[in-house]
Amino acid sequence: MTMIAPKESGSTPSPVLIYEKVRKLYGEFVALDEVSLRVDAGEVVCLIGPSGSGKSTLLRCTNALEPISGGTIYFDGRALPSVDRDIRKVRQRMGMVFQNFELFPHKSALDNVAIGPMTVLGMPKTQARERARALLAKVNLADKVDSFPSNLSGGQQQRVAIARALAMEPEVMLFDEPTSALDPETIGEVLNVMKALAEEGMTMIVVTHEMAFARRVADRVAVFEHGTILEHGSPEQIFENPETARTRDFLSHLGWDG
Amino acid sequence: MTLDWSIVWEYREDLLHGVLLTIALTVITMIVAIPGGIILAMMRLSRSRILSTISLCFVELFRNLPLILVVYWAFYVMPIVLGIQIAAFETGLIALCLNVSAYNGETFRAGINSIREGQVNAGLALGMSRWQVMREIVIPQATRRVLPVLASTWVSLFKDTSLVSVIAVGELAHVALQIRSQTFRVMEMLTAMAVIYWLLGYPQAKLVDWIHSKFKVAE
Ligand SMILES: Nc1ncnc2c1ncn2[C@@H]1O[C@H](COP(=O)(O)OP(=O)(O)OP(=O)(O)O)[C@@H](O)[C@H]1O
Ligand SMILES: [Mg+2]
Repeated sequence: MTMIAPKESGSTPSPVLIYEKVRKLYGEFVALDEVSLRVDAGEVVCLIGPSGSGKSTLLRCTNALEPISGGTIYFDGRALPSVDRDIRKVRQRMGMVFQNFELFPHKSALDNVAIGPMTVLGMPKTQARERARALLAKVNLADKVDSFPSNLSGGQQQRVAIARALAMEPEVMLFDEPTSALDPETIGEVLNVMKALAEEGMTMIVVTHEMAFARRVADRVAVFEHGTILEHGSPEQIFENPETARTRDFLSHLGWDG
Repeated sequence: MTLDWSIVWEYREDLLHGVLLTIALTVITMIVAIPGGIILAMMRLSRSRILSTISLCFVELFRNLPLILVVYWAFYVMPIVLGIQIAAFETGLIALCLNVSAYNGETFRAGINSIREGQVNAGLALGMSRWQVMREIVIPQATRRVLPVLASTWVSLFKDTSLVSVIAVGELAHVALQIRSQTFRVMEMLTAMAVIYWLLGYPQAKLVDWIHSKFKVAE
């Protein structure tokens, strides 16, 4: 499968997403306060931080599920559009994976994956299912194509959800705590799929509490608190030498000891 | 007291005619009230405040008035207000449609609302339009939840059609009560009426039970 261009090494990285002083208000409440961040092609950026710090909000704003209140988000060099039609075009180029999987319970695993290309791209059913079959094989679920979500374990459902997002051949994948709702024994299988995806060169933003994953897979880690980025840098920097006491506190609360 | 059951057989044609009208009232009311309910639900969930308020008022009015009152109202008041004369059958039909549309509107609204926001977001995140999300994700799932409720409404409606007998619509209840007052065979006619309603209603109720078990939502 050659859906994703390999990581260009050496050449100047091109930004896929640029967040420029992004603000998000819910009424009076400031969920995002002037967040600036840049995500380059092929990069894996992990967002960590305490509950309620705005990580999910940033992801939802990225594919315009929520409108932002200030600042700009550039995707592929252009500010996110505000017209419905154009927003849809942008969303097609971003894959999103939710904490609760959000598979469509009335469709088989195969059709969950095929539905995007069929309805959104107008792809013929046979072709869409062919693509879906290949993607399910890629996430090690070739034997579950005909299963319905209610008959799949959490880890299996989340892998179907990843395949569903990949079916649109996105340029960036957004993961919102993809393993938080999983039993410990199935977390690994999902993280392995994500790791393989990262190695293929997929651009990824991953909100996670899996510090070992962030440490090993992320190119950069951003620490959120109260709607701002406390600090960001390479995993070594964040985990070994955090600049702020708040980051150290947060990491030690999670039981991270380097 | 001697009972004369032959009276039932004697009036079989009238009774059959009544049964057919009862079925017709039920079927036509549902044919009108299902699209009616969908329209009410769409209005209620639309972004237009006016449409939403109209729908809310309609639903809350007709859901909370006793059906028999709506029937009388349609019979005595509607012709004066609208200035037109309407036959008893149509009048009864209108009253039933108003009542059942209101119920169905609430059923559809609840069905659509029962689909989690996350499901909508998952569809939108793939790049679907709002309408595609409705068609591919929300409506198929909502249908599974709505169908059992509609089936129950159907069975209630079948029995409630007897209420329009008060304005002399010649459905089963009215016919049976007419025969009773002409022949003074109270026991026989009331029993016959009960048996006929039960024989027609029981299979429907069983069907509803089956639909309930078949469409039980598996999360
Ligand atoms: N629709 C909303 N209306 C009002 N407030 C909201 C809404 N969505 C989120 N918030 C608030 O915004 C803040 C940030 O929420 P967000 O979901 O982004 O946090 P998070 O970092 O993802 O936390 P968690 O780790 O718990 O998922 C929270 O305080 C939350 O209560
Ligand atoms: Mg979150």
